[in-house]
This record gives sequence, C-alpha cells and structure tokens, in this order.
Amino acid sequence: MLDDREDRFDEFLRDQARDYNPPPETPRAEIWERIRAARETDRRTGGPAVGESADVLPFRRSVRPTARPPFRLALGIAALLAIGVAIGRYSAVRPVTPAVPAPASEVAAAPARPDRREVASQIATAEHLTRVETFLTEFGTPNPPAGFTAEAHDLLGTTRLLIDSKRVTDPRTRQLLEDLELVLTQIATLDPKDHREDLDLIADGLAQSHLRTRLRNAIPAGPATRM
Amino acid sequence: MEPENLVARVLAGDPDAERALYDAHVDRVYRLVYRMVGDGELAAEYTQDTFIRTFERLATFRGEAALSTWIGSIAISVVYNGQRKAGRRRSREVDLEHAEPVATPSREAEPDLKIRLARAIDGLPEGYRTVFLMHDVEGFTHGEIGATLGIQEGTSKAQLSRARARLRKELAAFAGEWA
Repeated sequence: MLDDREDRFDEFLRDQARDYNPPPETPRAEIWERIRAARETDRRTGGPAVGESADVLPFRRSVRPTARPPFRLALGIAALLAIGVAIGRYSAVRPVTPAVPAPASEVAAAPARPDRREVASQIATAEHLTRVETFLTEFGTPNPPAGFTAEAHDLLGTTRLLIDSKRVTDPRTRQLLEDLELVLTQIATLDPKDHREDLDLIADGLAQSHLRTRLRNAIPAGPATRM
Repeated sequence: MEPENLVARVLAGDPDAERALYDAHVDRVYRLVYRMVGDGELAAEYTQDTFIRTFERLATFRGEAALSTWIGSIAISVVYNGQRKAGRRRSREVDLEHAEPVATPSREAEPDLKIRLARAIDGLPEGYRTVFLMHDVEGFTHGEIGATLGIQEGTSKAQLSRARARLRKELAAFAGEWA
C-alpha cells in the first residue's frame, strides 16, 4: 500500500519536475562561435585565454581549475576587499548613548551598505598604492630586484582592475592609477637583458609626473593601510 | 562516425571533427547544465567552458567510459566549480513564506505546487539534486550517472531515493495530487 503510494508519487514527481528549469533550444551557433574564438586566441597567444577574444565578447570569464595570473589578480583584489569589509565592520562607529529607534523613513534612507563598500574599496586602493610605492622605490635603486617585470605585471593587473572598478570615484585617484598603468606597462614589458636605456626613460617619466610624490600623498597615513 | 575516429581526428587538428564532436554532444550538455543552473547566460557560459576543457583534455580521454559520459563529467565539474565560486543558486521570485496555504489540492493550486516543487529541488543537497535532475528529469540511467559523477550505481540509486523522500516530505501538503 505504502509502496504503491510512493510509486504514484515518483511518477507524479517525474511528471511535474519536467517543468523545473525547462531548457530552451540550445544556442548552438552562438556558443560555438565563442568556443572557436577563445580557442583561436589560445593558439595565437600560446596559452589559454578563454573569454578574452577581441572580436567576440565572452559570456563571462572562464571557469578554470587552476589559478592563472588574471585569476590570481582577481583573487587578490577579492581578498583585499574582504579584508576591507571586515575592517569596515569592526571599526564602524557604534552609538555611545542608548539607541533610540529611528523613524522607519530614516532607517530606509540610511546608506549603511554603500558606505561600508566605499570604505572597503578605499582600503583596497590604498593597500595597492602602498605596494606600488614600495615597488617603485625598489625599482629606482641602482640594482633593481630580480623579477621586477613579473611584479610589475602583477601590479599592472591590479591597477587595471581598480581602474575598471566603479567604486574608485575620486578623480585624482583615477588619474594616478592611469599614470601608474602607463609606467607599470613600460616596466612590465622591459627586456630583462638589455634595459638600461629604457630604465633611464622610465626614471625621467617618473620624475616628470611626480608619481612617487603623488603616490605618497594618496596613501593615507595609519597602520590600517600598511597591512 | 565512430567516437574513436572522431577523437582521433580532433586530436589531429581537424576543425570539422571539432565541430562534429561539439554538435554531437552540445544539446545533452546544455540541457543538463540549464536544468542545474536555470539561467540561459550561465548555461551558455558553462557549456562553452565544458567544450573548451573537453578539447584541451581530449588527449587524456582513454575511452574507459563513453565520450558522452566523459564530457558530462567535465560539465558537472564546471557547474559545481562555477556555482561554488559564484555562490549562486537561482532564487525564486515568489517568497514562499507568503504563499497562500492550499487546503484542498485542485487545478488552481498547480502554479503554487510547481513553485514549491522548484523550491524543494533547489533546497536539495547538491549530490541528491544532481542525481535527481539527471535521472528523473533528464532520463540518465544510474549507470550513466555513476560513471559521470564518479560514484557507484548503488550510491546513485540511494541518493535518488533520499532525494525523492525529501521532496515527498516537502510536498506533503499536496498529497491529494497523487495519493
């Protein structure tokens, strides 16, 4: 009796569940075009670059099992943002006096979340600018550290992510990031074996744009940004 | 064309074979992925990633399972990874907490039943949900499910049974529809 009832339920379930997320017709041609474009980019660049084709927009960045450089950069930004959010939460000013319930309209209008995200973004930006400042200082010494092109490449990726971020709204910071992008691009593409002349040009560019001074001015003082 | 020949031709760099392999499997992949994520854009993205990874790894395909099963396992892996990263599960537009209780099942109650069923499926543990969707919705056999998910056939059967039991409990209010 019970088995019979369960059998009927199973049949009913199969019937009803056909309407669960019913798939539309497969967009075969569209998906194929994107696969073809991504693979073509792979062949041209000698490595996987899914979703980065210039002529076909990706659905979204590829899901990949290994952490490749762009993914690592995104992870880095995400980690910085997470740290920023955590700091924002813990350092939020709490009311000293017993709280009186605010009118509903005021509560609804309170922009608590955007502020927190704004703070997180500022912390992430400051942390990045600190790294860039350290890097440029080391880079400016007579014997730049080995592997500086790789580090410049890494910093360049983060710089671009910040430039693309809608949360970086301060025009001076944006201008600074764009100038940094240019310098970091130059450094990242240096020939490690023969770069003396290029180094001089970059040093001149740094001096003319007062980049290090602007960097120091943009980095707020305090331990929170020197994590 | 035999799958072995197709694989050999793809590995030899034949673009027509790549397209043939894609055409032979894309519907099954897309359908399953769409059932799992319920979103056209995500389903297309995951299907795209599935085939890119399929082509990248084809040289490692040993023919121990059917090619469709092997591709299916890549699709499941892509979906799981993508969903974990995005923390995404399709949320229903209707808040079930505010849905009208149904005292007497009837045809008018059907939309609510479907929403509750969808919510109940969404709420299943990942493994139960995948097995349920593959078996009861997409018609995979337990053998295929086992090979695709890397589990024993018996485990697939057990998970399906538990999934159904959970759904039966969740949908107890609608017992009149099938009892």
